[in-house]
Amino acid sequence: MRRVLPTVLVGALAITVAGCQSNSPEESTESGEAGGPLSVVSTDDQCEVSTTEAPSGRIAFSVKNEGSQVTEFYLLGDDGLRIIGEVENIGPGLTRDLVLQAAPGDYFTACKPGMVGEGIRAAFTVSDSGADLVAGEDAELVEQANVQYGSYVKDQTEQLLTETQEFAELYTAGDDDAARALYPEARVHWERIETVAEAFGDLDPRMDLREADLEPDQEWTGWHAIEKDLWPPVDGSYEAKTDEERTALADQLVADTQELYDRTRDQDYTADQIGNGAKGLLDEVATGKVTGEEEYWSHTDLWDFQANVDGARVGWEGLRPLLQQKDPELDAEVETRFEELQALLDEQRDGEGFVLYTDLSTEEVKALSDAVNALSEPLSQVTAAVLS
Amino acid sequence: MLGNYLIGLREGLEAALVVAILIAYLVKSDRRHLLPAVWAGIGVAVALSLGFGALLTFGPQGLTFQAQELIGGSLSIIAVCFVTYMVFWMARTARGMSGELRHQLDRAAEGGKASVVVLAMLAVGREGLETALFIWAASRAAAGVSGESTLVPLGGALLGILTAVVLGWLFYRGTVRLNLAVFFRWTGAFLVLVAAGVLSYGVHDLQEAGVLPGLNTLAFDFSDTVAPGTVLATVVKGILNLAPSMTVLEVATWVLYAVPVMVIFLRATRPSGPPHRAPTGQAPATRPT
Repeated sequence: MRRVLPTVLVGALAITVAGCQSNSPEESTESGEAGGPLSVVSTDDQCEVSTTEAPSGRIAFSVKNEGSQVTEFYLLGDDGLRIIGEVENIGPGLTRDLVLQAAPGDYFTACKPGMVGEGIRAAFTVSDSGADLVAGEDAELVEQANVQYGSYVKDQTEQLLTETQEFAELYTAGDDDAARALYPEARVHWERIETVAEAFGDLDPRMDLREADLEPDQEWTGWHAIEKDLWPPVDGSYEAKTDEERTALADQLVADTQELYDRTRDQDYTADQIGNGAKGLLDEVATGKVTGEEEYWSHTDLWDFQANVDGARVGWEGLRPLLQQKDPELDAEVETRFEELQALLDEQRDGEGFVLYTDLSTEEVKALSDAVNALSEPLSQVTAAVLS
Repeated sequence: MLGNYLIGLREGLEAALVVAILIAYLVKSDRRHLLPAVWAGIGVAVALSLGFGALLTFGPQGLTFQAQELIGGSLSIIAVCFVTYMVFWMARTARGMSGELRHQLDRAAEGGKASVVVLAMLAVGREGLETALFIWAASRAAAGVSGESTLVPLGGALLGILTAVVLGWLFYRGTVRLNLAVFFRWTGAFLVLVAAGVLSYGVHDLQEAGVLPGLNTLAFDFSDTVAPGTVLATVVKGILNLAPSMTVLEVATWVLYAVPVMVIFLRATRPSGPPHRAPTGQAPATRPT
């Protein structure tokens, strides 16, 4: 018992010292930081945040309660569930500060007058200020990357599931035009997390197998079987699916997507999985999308191309705080290559989507292919650099 | 006014009741010489909380949100260990008393000054940092740091804490007159419930900090019927740390702690043989709950 007291005190002190950060919202301590705190006014039915955007790094909110009930203020992650920071017990008439570190990304602010319910939410964006987050332990940064990537995967599978269900309904109802329009849009969410989905060896072949890769006697199901049915070859060699066959294909796809959704709810990702996943997505582009083999019938390869690039970018961004410490030059190169590739892709945009692969000239394909290779090279070194 | 009053009441209530039981116990078991240690523990906790709160409010350094939650969560878990220890310490003493071995008391209960100090400190200091930050915010409002100077929030908060202290004192007056066996059984059982609540609330803190999963998996949610801002919700939360909506993990923690500890405790204090009558008055009509 006698030894407990000092232990408790020392422990509390250690946590306190370790968890300190610069205070005084009124003062700007770093040159890269904006001025005073963001002001939030919470009333019984409103939550007025002075701005919807702030630069990354240290962010201070000064929350004033002008309502009649006790209120709370939260900054939530893009899934609307994860708490980045909160301040409770803001009694009527009080002002309390919330100071936190935030990485670039999408967030929600929320006031909870009466401490009950979802709170009054509003979207909040943290832009990249270039300011490094406070350098913590590597393990902490890896954990941060894991959390970020995990919520990205969850978010994409959620969208994939809703859009796949919608697509399946259109397809089974025989509304082919609408199904054709939704096809590349829905697949975007699959392609963004393709490397995660491919890790499930049982689901991937059922969902995303191309005709060219069919084994003898293998049943062809999934996206591409439906694709061929929606964009049948013109030479008449193809036998259209009956209504029953359509329903069977669609139900299977929805069931598999649901399974993918369930399995990705609480997955953990290590730094090397995220880094290699980003590289893997680029390889997907090089082997399938740039060649026009992925969407052989619909020619919507550029949607997939863009989605693979998006996914790779998210993976890299999650590892950035760590990479910037270990190898800032490599990080800068990856950034440049991403920009170059994106610029080329943007040239092929057409309204909400892209031009078809068949509309690309040989030179354009070559340029895209070169840009992919130029990005692949530095990206393949990210994992090693982060783990060094 | 009422909002700030209720926050003060909620933050102070649990601490006041635990301290009241501790003091009543020391008085009943003839250990008044340890009372200064209790006050010292409380004093240290208050001073530390206010000092840290002032430092974090006015000083150059603040605490990250995660660190705050981590401190709150860890202190809760340590507090549970101590309160559990206190319950069984009392139970052992109770047995010693019914065996008429009063002179062995001090040896039977090895808990000395240090543990009494720590107990009182933890009871008061567990929510001390959050309360201190809240009080300083109210003081700043009173000083007109951000807009109009208003004393209402600070007055409300202090009145709430004062009410908690008065309730603690009344509780002490009520329990100290009970006969020994009844006192031990009731206050011990009550402390087990308090500790279970503290533990599950600590789990909730760690869920909010993202250390533990399942923050949004609710076991039940009565917040439509009993809003968290109401007097009833405040008092229940203040005493037992139960909220109108709780996560599955919180409820599981509560049950896994409360049930076995309660069973063990009730067995340990089962009246055996002819019940010993303490030379005190009759039990009052009102029973503590």
